[in-house]
Order: sequence, then C-alpha cells, then structure tokens
Amino acid sequence: MSVRYQRKQYWNEPTMNWWEKAYLPEVLRGLFITTGVFLRNMGKWVTGRRGAVTTYYPEERRPDFAPRNRGKHVLTQRPDGSVQCIACNMCATVCPAKVIEIEPGFDANDPAHPKYPVRFEIDYSRCVFCGMCVEACPEDAIRMAPDVPNLVSDDRYNMWLTMDEMMTWRPQADVAKPYPPKPTLPVLPLVRDARGAHGVAGGVPSKH
Amino acid sequence: MSENRPEKILEFFIDGHPVTAKDGQTVIQAAREHGFDVPHFCWHPQLSVPGNCRICMVEVESDNGDPWFDIGCNMPVTAGMRVLLNSDTVKKLRKDTMQFITLNHPVDCGICSKSGECTLQDYHYEHNGAASLSRDRKNHATKFYPLSDRIMLDNERCIMCTRCVRFTHEVSKTHALGAVYRGDHSLIRPAEDANFNDDVYSDNVIDICPVGALLSRENIDNSRVWYTEPTASVCPGCERGCNISIWHRRQAWAFKALDPKLNTRIERVTPRENPDVNGPWVCNKARDLAKILERPRAEQPMIAGRVVDRADAIAAAAALLAGAKKVVALVSSWGSNEELAAFQLTIAASLGDRLTAWVKADHQPVPGEVIEDDILIKADKNPNRHGALALFPPLPAEGLTAIPADADVVLVWGEGVPAAALPQGAQVIRLDAWAHADNEVAAVFLPISIQTERAGHYTNFAGVVSDFAACFTPAPLVTHAETLFGMLLSAEVGVRRASA
Repeated sequence: MSVRYQRKQYWNEPTMNWWEKAYLPEVLRGLFITTGVFLRNMGKWVTGRRGAVTTYYPEERRPDFAPRNRGKHVLTQRPDGSVQCIACNMCATVCPAKVIEIEPGFDANDPAHPKYPVRFEIDYSRCVFCGMCVEACPEDAIRMAPDVPNLVSDDRYNMWLTMDEMMTWRPQADVAKPYPPKPTLPVLPLVRDARGAHGVAGGVPSKH
Repeated sequence: MSENRPEKILEFFIDGHPVTAKDGQTVIQAAREHGFDVPHFCWHPQLSVPGNCRICMVEVESDNGDPWFDIGCNMPVTAGMRVLLNSDTVKKLRKDTMQFITLNHPVDCGICSKSGECTLQDYHYEHNGAASLSRDRKNHATKFYPLSDRIMLDNERCIMCTRCVRFTHEVSKTHALGAVYRGDHSLIRPAEDANFNDDVYSDNVIDICPVGALLSRENIDNSRVWYTEPTASVCPGCERGCNISIWHRRQAWAFKALDPKLNTRIERVTPRENPDVNGPWVCNKARDLAKILERPRAEQPMIAGRVVDRADAIAAAAALLAGAKKVVALVSSWGSNEELAAFQLTIAASLGDRLTAWVKADHQPVPGEVIEDDILIKADKNPNRHGALALFPPLPAEGLTAIPADADVVLVWGEGVPAAALPQGAQVIRLDAWAHADNEVAAVFLPISIQTERAGHYTNFAGVVSDFAACFTPAPLVTHAETLFGMLLSAEVGVRRASA
C-alpha cells in the first residue's frame, strides 16, 4: 500500500488570486513600500526634522521611557544611611531567574539588626524585571526605581549591579515614595483593663 | 523490668488502629514505632522525659465517655487503652500550646539560621497557623549570649525545652548547662562549676535545639538552609567512623558572582543517625571537619619538585617501580576499602615478593585533643585502619626505621610520613592530597582526591562498614587513588614488557 503524502490544511490557509500568484508584481510592491519609508525618513533627517526614532545607545539614552517603567533596583536605607536589607535572602529565593546573590554578614553588637549584606549583587543580563523581589521583601529594603542602569558591555559577566550602585537612592529625597516613619509601638490596654472597662460601661457586674 | 521475665506485649489502639507496645513504653514511643507522628519539643528519643512543652498532648477515650488528656511522652501504655492523636480537642489543645510557646518568641525567622528546618516553624504551620492572640508586649531577653567559644544562645528564641541542659547531664555528662530564674524570665545559662568549653560534644545541642536559640558561632548565617543539601559521609576524625552529613551549597543555587569557593565549601556537619556506630551524636572534631579537609591542596603532579603532566609523572613512577628490587609501600589508613582493594589487586599483586606493604597511621592525635573517652572518641585518629589491616600488616613497632636500608623505592600513600624519616638512598613516590613541603622532595609526586571528592566505604574499629558519597568535583589533575593505581599498574606492565 502506497503512502499518500498530503499537505496539512490549516484554518488560515492563504488564498491568493491570480495577480498575487504571479509573484513578481507583489515583490515589486513590497520594495516600493520599504523604499518609500526609507526615503521619507531620510528626507526628514536631511531637513533636520524628527525621522526614524533611532537612539544611538550608549552615546544617547532614551528620555521617553514610560512613566511606570521600573528598570533598576534600589536598596533603601535606614535613616542613619545603613542598608535596610537584613540579608534574609527572600528576594533571592523568590527570584524566578535566580539572579540575586547575597553574602550575609553577622554583627552581634547590633541586636536589632544582627544580619546585614556584605555583598548584594543582581545579574542584569538575566533579570526579568518581574518585581517579585520587591514583593517578597519583608523589610521594604529593595524597590524598583523608574530608571535604567547604564550597563554597556560585550560580556554578560560585567552586567552585575553591585550594592554601592543600588544604594545611590536617598529615600529622604523621594517625594513620590517617602521613607516610612520609624514605627512606634502602639500602647495597647492590657486585656484585663479592657474587660474591666467593658464591665463598667455596660453596667453589668463582672462574674469574677 | 527484670531480665529473666519475658517481655510483656500490650495491645492498645491509636486512632482506632490496633497496635502493640512493649510493657513500659510510653505512648509517644509506641506511636512512633508504628509510624504515627506525635509532635514534640522537649521530648527527645535519647533523653529523659521532662514533660514541659505540653505539645504532645493526646486524648485517651474512656468507657464512661469522659476522656482523659495527658502528654504522650510521659504516659505509659496500658492494655486496651484507646488513644486519639488528632481529635478536635487535641487539635485545639495543641493550638493553644503553640500560642503559649510562641508568646515571647520574636518570630525573626527571616534572619534565623534555623529557619527552614525549625520544629517551631513547622509546628506553627501544622498545628497553629494563627497570629499571636496576645495583646501584651513580648518579653525581650539577651540576644547572642556566648555559652562557650563555639555556641551562642539567643534567649528570645529559646522555648525552654531544656533539651540542651539534659544533653549535658545525660549524654556528654559535663553538667555544663542549667536553667536559671522562673516563668517567662527563665534562661539557659552555663553552670558555675563547669565549663561548656570542655564539652567536646557541645555542638550536638545545636542540632537537638528545636528552635534557632543555640547557634554555632563558627557557621552562623553562613547560608540559608534551603540553599544547602546534605551528602552522606563518614567522619575521618577517629576510628569510630561516625556517620555524618556534610552540608554544602546546592548546585541549583551555585553562586556566579560571589566567591566560587563558597560553592565548594563545607557549610556544616551534622550527625547521620546510625545506632551501630554513633547513635544520633558526633563530637566537635566532626563539626570542624572543614579545618582538616579544607587545608591547602596539592593539585599538580611533580617530578622532584618540578610540575609535569600527569602522564609523565605516572610513567616516571612506573619506571621506578618496574626497576626496583625492593619496594616498601606505606599504605594509607585514610584510604577507602575500595582504594585499599585496588592497591592490593594492582600494585601489590604485580610487584609480588618485591613489595613490603605496611599500614601506617596518617594522623596522630594533635596536642590538646581528647585521646579517648567512653562515649564516642577513639584513640586511633584514622578512619579506616581496621579496613587496611584486613589486607596488609601494620607498620612494625619501631616505626619508619623498620624500612630496610636496601629498599630502593618507598611508596608513601597519604600523610604522616616526613621525608627526613625515610632512608636517604631510596627513591620516594608520594601520593598525597594536601600541600606539604615534603611533596617537592619526592622523586615523583601524584595528587590524589580527598574524601569529599570520592565515594567509598570505611570499616570502623568494630568492623562496621559505613559509606560516604562525593560532594565536590576534584581539580582537573587530581586523581582518585583507585584510578591512579590502575594507571600505575598498566604503565608499569608496559615498562616491564618493553625491557623484557
């Protein structure tokens, strides 16, 4: 029994008329379109008007990123300027691209913040800018800023952003996202006080 | 229970399943034997029963419908008792107990070294799952109190289960720890008339601590637990051959920007329970294995101190062996059973009568080290002396002077043999893993792998064989001794054929 080979039929199979099947006129039409765009752009460029939007990176940098673009990580700081990060590695653990590497340090003399990052590095050649690190951080220590790091290199191993580059952001100067004030512990009434107050207010004598 | 009376077997019920227990067993012991999990903090299979954490609360049904609640760790099994481990009341009691235990716990899991393997964390998700109901402020206690040169105590995380105190009283018998003050002010503190530094088993309290209160000062915050994985291994510290787990960074989490040495570092060592060898304990020497194994390595084959290709070094060693009339081999007592067998089947078989092979001690006790005790530590500081002695005789009592003056080749496998102690006229072939000045004066030096780079078995002093697996990849020119003996044999046979 001979096997019959048949082209698979697709639902969006192109239907061409005779003119399109003739091939050459359509090719010429395509060339005409491209040439037209090229000449129009060149005409604008020669006369000094805005033509094709080509940015000559890295000499030029685009000024027109979307206002909600978040292209750079920043490490927030405590009011004394030390890094807010506690090196808990939640960001590194949640990161889907596994680009965050933290070397922790330990300081027993600071019982409130015994753990801190000695090195904090992000591989921008693999970062997917998903913002999960920001979401996972329990200390609001990592945020993403409307900025783009200027990492120009022909080697992906040079595209690690180090801690000093991520600590350039001063929270005090940022009016859009102010640094949260130092939390003060709310003075809560003790349980037995609350119970007693309820007893008095309700006019019901306590059972105890 | 007297010895001559036959052991009484009791039948009872756990969650409706009929199970058996030996007379005198507690509910938690019998339940664990039959695969039922009873949560516990203060109870430890190897320690006495203090019954202070109350998390192992179980329900005992009674015929008159009035159930009885008690802690499973301290309740002996009686015949026909009907135990419920997961009734609604038991669940509620556990939840309340968890609320109470975490009353003053700081919940700083984010920076706690125990996070990821913490019993309190696990039980919180399993049995509580709710935020603290307390409206009072948490008590603050001392952070990072040094219990000894090795151990740090975080009193805020401590739940006062007193496992560590009982460990020093019942297992290591140093009585070095105690509990002071009462209620929520109670603290674990070193005893005044003992020194926790003298406890050579002190690091076990880090493992048995159910929370992150006891921390190793050496390994604190090295790495989060979930970035590391254990590899089964054997401690080479003495001939006990304690079964251990060597923790190292997972391949999936290998650092790319930070120091690559962090990827092949021993993060910590924990005991691997083996009732025939070490039970659940190891001594502090096993914890410090990195200090022995991570010494500077020898990674280049050498001929008289000159770095050469491996093939050239093997050819030179084979030529020496083929031309020798009397060869003395000093066999390593750190070699695995596989390596020793390979040595016997290749070099020893090929050289025949020309070879005298003696088992030497690679390591001697270092000054200040505990030589021997009646818990774990044995006097011989080599892991596989027993296995080696099964194949080769020991080095005679007079030591290295026993090497005959007319020996023309001495093959030294492993450490512990200084070049100056060897006869002047003999050519030395040295196989070693670590960098020594003696490596350069040997006629031929070949680098070999260490225990963390290969798999094998050690036979301990009692004849129990324990296995170890490879954690790391050796450097390119470092060869496993097992492979090296095969290469030496084929080269040596080649030399002899060519000369014949």
